[in-house]
Amino acid sequence: MTTGRLPTGLIAVTSLLLLLLALGAALSHSFIQPGNLLNVLEQATDLAIVGLGQTVVVLTGGIDLSVGSLISLLAVLTSGLIDSDASMVLPVVAGVIVLGALLGAINGLTVVWLRVHPLIVTLGSGAVLQGITLLYAKGPVGGVPDGFDFLAYGRVLGLPVAGVAVLLVFVIAALLLRLTPFGRYVYAVGDDPVAASLMGLPRRRVLVVAYAVSGACSALAAIYLVARFGSGQPYTGANYTLASITPVVVGGTVLAGGRGGVMGTLLGAYLVAVLNNLLNFLDVSSQMQLVVQGLIIILAVSVVIDKRRVVA
Amino acid sequence: MSAAAIRTPVQRLLQGGTPIYLFLVVLIVVAGVAAPAFLSAGNVSNMLQQLAPLGIVVIGQTFVILLGGLDLSVASVMATAAVAATSFSGRDRDVPAIIGVTLAIGVLVGLANGLLVAKRRVSPFLATLAVMVVLQGLRFTWTHGAPSGNVPGLLRALGSQTWHGLPYALMLMLVLGAGAAVLLHRATFGRRVYLVGGGPVMARLVGIDTDRITIAVYVISAVMAAIAGLVLSGYVGIVDNFVGRGFELDSIVAAVIGGVALSGGRGTIGGALAGAAVLIAIFNAVLLFGLPVQAQIIIKGVVIVAAAAFYVKRH
Repeated sequence: MTTGRLPTGLIAVTSLLLLLLALGAALSHSFIQPGNLLNVLEQATDLAIVGLGQTVVVLTGGIDLSVGSLISLLAVLTSGLIDSDASMVLPVVAGVIVLGALLGAINGLTVVWLRVHPLIVTLGSGAVLQGITLLYAKGPVGGVPDGFDFLAYGRVLGLPVAGVAVLLVFVIAALLLRLTPFGRYVYAVGDDPVAASLMGLPRRRVLVVAYAVSGACSALAAIYLVARFGSGQPYTGANYTLASITPVVVGGTVLAGGRGGVMGTLLGAYLVAVLNNLLNFLDVSSQMQLVVQGLIIILAVSVVIDKRRVVA
Repeated sequence: MSAAAIRTPVQRLLQGGTPIYLFLVVLIVVAGVAAPAFLSAGNVSNMLQQLAPLGIVVIGQTFVILLGGLDLSVASVMATAAVAATSFSGRDRDVPAIIGVTLAIGVLVGLANGLLVAKRRVSPFLATLAVMVVLQGLRFTWTHGAPSGNVPGLLRALGSQTWHGLPYALMLMLVLGAGAAVLLHRATFGRRVYLVGGGPVMARLVGIDTDRITIAVYVISAVMAAIAGLVLSGYVGIVDNFVGRGFELDSIVAAVIGGVALSGGRGTIGGALAGAAVLIAIFNAVLLFGLPVQAQIIIKGVVIVAAAAFYVKRH
């Protein structure tokens, strides 16, 4: 667990982010304009939110590979059930968030009950959820009333609503993880599950809640994506399963669990957004953007050797 | 280290691997009775055809999982091999060059994965994920998003033709599987893989060069994926940037169903290949029973969790 000193991961991602911003400012004048930077803040929303839930799960020593399918399912349900009817917006949005948390909790319960590796559990549940999604919708389904896109593109006093909301959510999550007993349990369970159980910490409850949080975050991301694209599609979330891991590890959270934090993930999401934005400015093809993104992951996770990891 | 490594093959078959073979037999009998078309010569040949590329990937994936790792880059390697297969003139005389290029790609990718995991101590999940992304980007750049060209006839024959109903691709899988089984269960190298997978610290204490074993295992996996990519491109005939999509997860699913433990050190090549056969049989039966194709994914999800839970309880 990291208290007191600033963890190396956080320092690494901050320096990398500052380096990119400086590079961007040097290469392109329009890149560093406030308008563009606010856009970047907005563009990081989906990755940051999914990454938040993923971080909590990874801190417990687990992983959630069902987020992509869950986002797809909840996205088609959001636009399918609202079906352009303004009066349905509030009940459906609330229902989707609750459903996301419930489906996440089922992941956690399965991990706890069957004692199967979280990777297998969430891989399996992800497949089931994707199957259900495709039974419900084979293409874009339903729609949302005018004004729903405020959630994705809205500006108040010139500031992007989604970007600011994400910032607030992360600050609250960071405080909860640091200051509440439950937050400490998350770290303790991830650091050493056996010790945590011996100390009488509610290991099972911590795991169920962690996966529920991830499910709820997937729901928020699904709603945001529906607001951005106007409707949900059966593969809306497909890329997020693996993409959500990037900001987490780039932000210094260790896949083995117990070390890291959500603020690193937020910076990791900003890093990815800045990188993509900058590469767009430089007219780098979207294919080469992939290459750069992969190299950044390799750089971020291999510069600092994790001495606690024993081979393979 | 698991005791399975020092049992005789007969004991291993009776104790460790029996459930998956039994399950495969029961599955075939039940599906055959419920839908006679399942066991028709044409359908069996078709299933074996589909089993071959998956099985070849599973062989490599098994090595990696036995070491306690994972290889998420296999599908990307398969697609890259397939793209290489069509990047020449499409005539048979280019086949040796295609095989050479493909194997070289496999070795390079395996080295990248292995070095990251062994020397930089990156978690296998991340190392192979990042390599997958880089490889995908390079492939897209090379093909400008849309690969063109033809798969040479020789590769087409390898991927899609049969010898009296027995697909050539399956023969290749069986040869590779037998070779891998000998390497794993008969050679010193295999013993070391089990030792390192069962307990890396202990393995290092007894003087095993764990880094070399790790790198070798990732090279094996990537080379197998490259071969599978050629076979699959020969099967489908046309190549896009996503040949082999889903094979990274399906190969892990097959190995886990076949009793290979994700924690490392436990499992056999035979079990993993039987796991692959179970997966293919289930996919096929779902369609024969007239269930919607989506049921394939749902059943796959349930089966992998159930299988993993089964093995957890046993140990």
